[in-house]
Formats: sequence, C-alpha cells, structure tokens
Amino acid sequence: MSKAPTTDRADRFNELSQRRAIPLTDLAGHADDIARICHRMAERFRAGGKLVVFGNGGPSTDAQHVAVEFVHPVIVGKRALPAVSLTSDVATLTGVAARAGFAETFAHQIRCLGEPSDIALGLSADGSCENVARGLAAAAELGMLTVALTGGDGGPIVADHVLVARSADPLVVKEIHVTAYHLLWELTHVFLEGAA
Amino acid sequence: MTESLYPFLCTGQSAVDLAEVAASTRAKIADAIALRQQVFDFDAELLEACAEAMASRFAAGGRLLAFGNGGSSTDAQDLASLFVSSSQLPAFGLTNDIAVITALSNDVGFDVVFSRQIATFGRAGDIAVGLSTSGSSTNLLPAFAQARRRGLLTVGLAGGDGGAMASSPDIDHLFVVPSSSVHRIQETQTTLYHVLWELTAAALESR
Repeated sequence: MSKAPTTDRADRFNELSQRRAIPLTDLAGHADDIARICHRMAERFRAGGKLVVFGNGGPSTDAQHVAVEFVHPVIVGKRALPAVSLTSDVATLTGVAARAGFAETFAHQIRCLGEPSDIALGLSADGSCENVARGLAAAAELGMLTVALTGGDGGPIVADHVLVARSADPLVVKEIHVTAYHLLWELTHVFLEGAA
Repeated sequence: MTESLYPFLCTGQSAVDLAEVAASTRAKIADAIALRQQVFDFDAELLEACAEAMASRFAAGGRLLAFGNGGSSTDAQDLASLFVSSSQLPAFGLTNDIAVITALSNDVGFDVVFSRQIATFGRAGDIAVGLSTSGSSTNLLPAFAQARRRGLLTVGLAGGDGGAMASSPDIDHLFVVPSSSVHRIQETQTTLYHVLWELTAAALESR
C-alpha cells in the first residue's frame, strides 16, 4: 500500500525485463560457439543430411517450430532444408511409449529414421529429460551430429555441442532457445551460402 | 580441424569470417533485448489489463482457444499447454488436430480453419488468442470476428505495423511488436504470452 501502483508496475516489468536480458547477454557471449555449430550443421546439410528435432512439453512445440523454420523459411529466397520434429508423429510416440516406455520414444524414432549424415537437435529446459538424452545417444551411435539446447545448470545431457540458457525459469529458457534456434537457422544459411 | 582455420571457416566455395558472423549474432541478440524493453515500456499497463480480463474469464469458467500459422501455431500450442499443464486451466490449441485442419482446408478453405473451430467450440465467456507476425494472416481475421460475435474475449499478438489486425474492430487487446524481423517479432511474442500467462496466474491467485 505504501507504493503507488505505477511504481509497482515499473518494478514488476523491470524484473520481467532483467530476467530475460541477463541470460540473453550470456547467450551473446557464446556467439562464436553458435557460429561453429552452424558451420558443422551446414556441412551435414551439404552432405544430404536432415535435421531431427525433439523435446517434451513446451519444447515439443519448439521442435515443431524449428522444423517449419528449416522446411519453409520465413525469409524469401532461402532454400528449404529437410527437418522433422519427432513429436509430430503422435501415433509412433504414443505407440513406443506404451510398449517400451516414454524414455525410449525419441531413441526408437532416431534408430528408425536417422542416417549418419543427419543432425539431432534435442531440447530440454533443464537438461535432464531422459528420452532426450537417450535420443541424443542413439543419434551419436549412428554418427549423427548432436546438438542440445538446455537450461538451468545444463543438466546431465551429453552432445557434441550444448548451448545452455542460463536461467532457472523454464519460460525464459524457452525464450532464449527461440532466439538460439533462429540464429542456428540463420547462420546455417550463412555458411551454406558461403557469405557472411 | 575447424579450429585450425580460425578465424575463417572454409565453406567449400568461399571463406566466412567467423568474427564477423559472431559480431552480427551479438548485434541481433542486443536487438532482441532492446525490443523486449521497448514493448514492456509501451505495453506494461495493457498487459496487466489484459491479464486481469483473462483471469476474470477463467474464474468464471471460461476456456482459452489459441491459434496461429506456422511458427505461430507452435506458440499457440505452447500457450494453450502452459495453461493446461502449469495452471490446470482449460485451453486448446486450434492447430492440435491435423485431421480437423486438413479437412476444413480441403473441403472449405484454409481461411476458415480457425473461425469454424471457434464457431464449434467457442462459448461466450471464453478467450480467443491469435498470433501472427505480420498481423495480416487471412485466417485470423475471420476467427477474431467469429469470436467477437460469440462473446469471447479477443486477444491479438501482431508484429511490424500490426497489419490488418491493427485496424480490426474485433480485437479487445492487441499487442504489436514493432520490428521488421520476423524472428525478433516471434521471440518477443513468446515473451508477451509468457508474461500474460504469469500475470494471469498471479491475478487468479490473488483473488
């Protein structure tokens, strides 16, 4: 009651803004890593590989977002690149989950659909999703390039490249991931086209 | 071996300057931070008012219906799932059922895929949230019109200059992300609906 409503609002939105600006600034500190990942992703696409994306809950919608980003670019003139999200196939997902358990879902799909020249991109807000970890492990066994977008302290997930969104808020982690995968898409095209 | 080529990464045809790519990446992230601040500065009061209105609808038994195309469809599904899984509130993504989407598109046309579902599911007291980076998606405008006719609260997220949504008479709460980059618009819209969820959840708790 001591503060005017406008001050409360300013404080509230200042906190909402800072909660995002800090991990975004941290992401900017990894710009070199992002460029290196994209260089390797471009190599895979040039070799005929496809991108396989997966995550649970909110990140499953990100997986679909990444797939559509690559398949149907929003920037006119950019070539379409093959990408699939594993949660779009609800029949297989629920079938494997019912038979072999949810932890096996992505690994099973990757063993069926993955090829050595492919790229696996796993998303996990805290880096501890068992089915994402197993999916990445199955991808690595096939010789796929493995990339993970995680959050919090990064969690136990293992991949060739791990980008960590440094926030304890899973919603903010998601927002950092959206920026990260938009950059992954954009820089992959930069390397494919051979011009910065 | 990549390291040995630093700062130039060979792409097969020509060399890309890694330092230049990294610098442009940092500039884009700086834009993303600044754009959020700009939207918060401009829309703070509107966001609180919208969240209060959404909380009133939920408190009275309303449901949320979310819709969009492409990347925005994934945001719509994410928003709906956020209310269902984190707040135990009723919400539906209108792109969740691919059978319904393709049936309506094939039999009637893509422009009605959301308006027909709103006509089928929507009740007075519900909330309709539509997302479009351009603000001009031709299937969103009839969806807002249908929602308005049925007494739903209508919330729109647009980008650029707001497109056709900016002049729609059917949107109660409109948030426009002022950027020319589809990517930066999408990222900021994600923040906007996250904040709407957070403020709505807080408003419901304080009741």
